[in-house]
Order: sequence, then structure tokens, then C-alpha cells
Amino acid sequence: MDALEPVLPVLSDDNRGFWDAARAGTLAMQRCAACGHLRYPISPICPRCLSPDFAWTPLSGRGTVLSFVIFEHAYNPAWASRVPYNVALVQLAEGPRMFSNVVGIPNEQVRVGMPVRVSFEPVQTAGGSELAIPRFAPAG
Amino acid sequence: MGWRKAAIAGIGASRQGKLPGETALSLATEAFRDALADADLQKDEVDGLLTMPGTSSPEGAKHYLALGERLGINPSFTGSMAMGGATAGALVQLAAMAVSTGMANVVACVFGDAARTAGSKFDSAAGGSDSWGIWGMFGNAANSAIGARRHMALYGTTSEQLGWVAVNGRRNARLNPAAVMREPMTLADHQASRLIVDPLRLFDCCLITDGGVALIVTSPERALSGPHRPAVIWGMGQGHTAENLGREDWWYLPHQTDCVSRAYRMAGVSPKDIDVAQLYDNFTIAVLFWLEHAGFCKIGESGPFVEGGLRIGLQGELPLNTAGGNLSESYMQGWLHIAEGVRQIRGEAGERQIPDAELCLVTGRGMTLNTASTLVLGR
Repeated sequence: MDALEPVLPVLSDDNRGFWDAARAGTLAMQRCAACGHLRYPISPICPRCLSPDFAWTPLSGRGTVLSFVIFEHAYNPAWASRVPYNVALVQLAEGPRMFSNVVGIPNEQVRVGMPVRVSFEPVQTAGGSELAIPRFAPAG
Repeated sequence: MGWRKAAIAGIGASRQGKLPGETALSLATEAFRDALADADLQKDEVDGLLTMPGTSSPEGAKHYLALGERLGINPSFTGSMAMGGATAGALVQLAAMAVSTGMANVVACVFGDAARTAGSKFDSAAGGSDSWGIWGMFGNAANSAIGARRHMALYGTTSEQLGWVAVNGRRNARLNPAAVMREPMTLADHQASRLIVDPLRLFDCCLITDGGVALIVTSPERALSGPHRPAVIWGMGQGHTAENLGREDWWYLPHQTDCVSRAYRMAGVSPKDIDVAQLYDNFTIAVLFWLEHAGFCKIGESGPFVEGGLRIGLQGELPLNTAGGNLSESYMQGWLHIAEGVRQIRGEAGERQIPDAELCLVTGRGMTLNTASTLVLGR
């Protein structure tokens, strides 16, 4: 991969449900068909009960910023032009947590505890296919 | 009191710093020879070899074979482990178990890394099916910075308070002839250092260095016949969180509390019994977390605990990281923390010796804030 290619998901049977939903404008995660546990990170089995059966389930896309950092140093050349950029640990309303970015406000205005709502950024892969990356904007 | 069924009888270290031409194996070898001399042992007396591959080691989990071949050791007990900064403590624990069960008599635990010369970046992205790099979350500093930010938001912890941890490490390193960073550092220097991953600054981050460390574990009885007072293992503990995002309090490393508690219980001691502590400091915030996890202060009160640097200084109530730690001595991923703990128990730490140090707590943590190990060392 070219060094300046952004890090993009490699679609597989495991994660395709997440990225298909994202392209359609929905944040979706796996709900275990056996025990009901809503899980993230994406996994082929439930970490609670080890069942392989699940359904991709739409979420509200609402959450709060559990914590965040601002990268002042580019660890990866693909992100050098974005420095300084923020990365937030988002606590989703339905329970799971994910890393993402807070968009739509300057880094200095990001706060722990801030309510946020998912916002999708369309991107094109080197191969020309379309993806949408879930990021989060302040929610009032 | 305490478990006391194994002891650290030898400590060795290579030169530390930027050492062009050296490799992970050559530095591990240098440290091993130094530890043998320290323990006054012959190579043929070593029948156990436990190793940690360095970031510049190509052998991965087969590292023990490469080092065994180089050292000419065909051990009765061996293996390699990769738990980052928790590995040193975990390998000493494994060695102690081997010695106490009779599977081995003298176990050398060895690490070497040419991280500086090889250009190790510590910049990878974690994540399972989808890399955290999709959102720009790269490198080790960011994981600790996430914890630092939330600690600041919940408890009012400040960058200046983190700075006192860095200043303390440097102050102690200046009394350590083997330390890599010995120039003076003030709190103002810390505050003037550039932001790397906000809220962490350059001087909140550990060094990246070349070097090796070796620790020799044997029975307390055998250790008594050596040239130094044995550092007897009173207690051992581990704790781990594999599910980073799966735990809401992952940022706070809840397994570290379990890890230290287990070691205290085995040792039959409590925080007030500890005379000196070597707390893993890949980033300054790590020390604040350990202070809370190890029960030296209440949750959220570690910032005021370190403020001003007196309480954690050599004359303070809890002297910390007396050799300078990962921040100023050398980034040996916690191996030198154990060596310094042994020195303090021996009473051989020179200008930085804590008078009558009878119990030393040593902690390690590693990976994406996943792993933790604790040793309680005593007489």
C-alpha cells in the first residue's frame, strides 16, 4: 500500500455488515442472537456466550465523548496533513464504545462528556469503491 | 511473612543509550554476562532461560532458541513471552515458580533490544477486524493520553502534576551513573516541551534506547551463598484486560488494581508497608494510575500526591523510580525497574539508596494497556 493511502477498512465477511450499513447512513453493530449482547469491536463470535449467531442491528448513532486526545505528531504519513487532529473514545447510547473523530468543531472545543451524533464521511478506496467512515458531530 | 520461595540473586545490564552496531541479541548477551558476574555464578549453573524478544528481535516467540544458541545453554526450562512492559515481572514470576517446583535451579531472565538503533517507532494501530488507524489512532502515547484526559476531566489532574513525575525521574537519574538522561529538568522544562498527543508532552514520554538487562532467579537458600543480600520474592501478581473497548473503564486499567492486590495478598503486606516503589512509567500518567491502583492514595488523588515532588522524592514518604525509570534511566520496558528494586533491597543503590529499604513494590504494564505484573521484593 502506498504510504500516503489513508488507513481504510479491508472488507471481509466479518466486517461487511458494519461498512454496508455505514454507506447507507446507519451505524450498525452485532447483536448476539443467543444472549442479546450488543458487541464491538466486530467479532465472529460473542465474547459473552461464544455464540456465532448474530444480527447487524441499527443503533441510534448517539453517544458521548468518554475521552479524547489531539495528535500533534503524525505517527502515520497518511495523517500528516490533518495534524493537529482529534481522536475520541465515544460511549454509544446503546452500550458499546468505539474510537472515532469529532467533526464540525475546532479541536479546542471538544470536551469529555460532550453529547455527539454519528456523521458519515464518504471516501473512495484506491480500487474505486465507495465507503463511509463514521465520525461524530456535536449533538446540541 | 510472605511467599519467599524464590529470590533474585543476580542483576546485570549492558551499556544503555544509542549503541550503533549492537543488536538485541548482542545486548542481551552483554547483560547476561554481567548478571552472571554479579551473582558469582558460572554459566553451566544456569539451567533455566526465559527471554523477552525486543522490538528489534526478528525471532518472535522463538527468541529463547536464538539466545540459548548464542549463550550455549541447553536448558531444562525455557521459553519466550511478549506482554510488553509486564513481561519482565511475569518472567521473574515464571522463573520463581520453576525454582519453587524444582523444575529448574537457576533461571536467567534476559532481555535485549536495539530499539533506538533499529528505529523502532511504537506507532502501530491496535484494533481487531477494523484498525483504529481508520480514525488516526496510532501509537502507544495515545492510549495513555486517553486515560490522562479522562483523569483530568474527572479529577482535575493537571499537566503540571504529570510534570512532577518526569522531574522526579530525572532528579533520580542524575544520581545514577548508568542513566541515559542526566541533564537537569525543571517543571518549566516539562511544560515547555512540545505536545506529542495532547495532553501528553514530549517529557511525559519514555525514552527509546538500546540496551539489555538480565535477572537471575534461584532459591533463597542458594541466593544466600552469593555475594549480595538476596532480594526475596514476597509476593507476585498479574492482571489483564484483553477486551479494550469491551470494558467501559478500560481507560483506567482496572486490572492493575487486581494485579497489585494479588501481590499484596501473597506477600501479606499492605501499601503502608512498602518502603520504596518502582512503578512502570512508559508515560507519566502511568505512575499516577499506579499510585491509585496500588493503594498509596485514593482514586482521583494521585495528582495532588505527586505535586511538588516531595512525597515521591528520595526523602519522601514513598520514594518512586529511584533509578530514573523508563523516562530518564533507559527504556528497558520495566527490566531495569526490577534491577533497581533488587539494588534497593540489597542496600547497594549508592547515593539514591533509601535507608533500611526492606520492601520494594515493582510494577509493569504493557501492550495496549492490556497487561500488568507486580512483584513485592523483600529481605
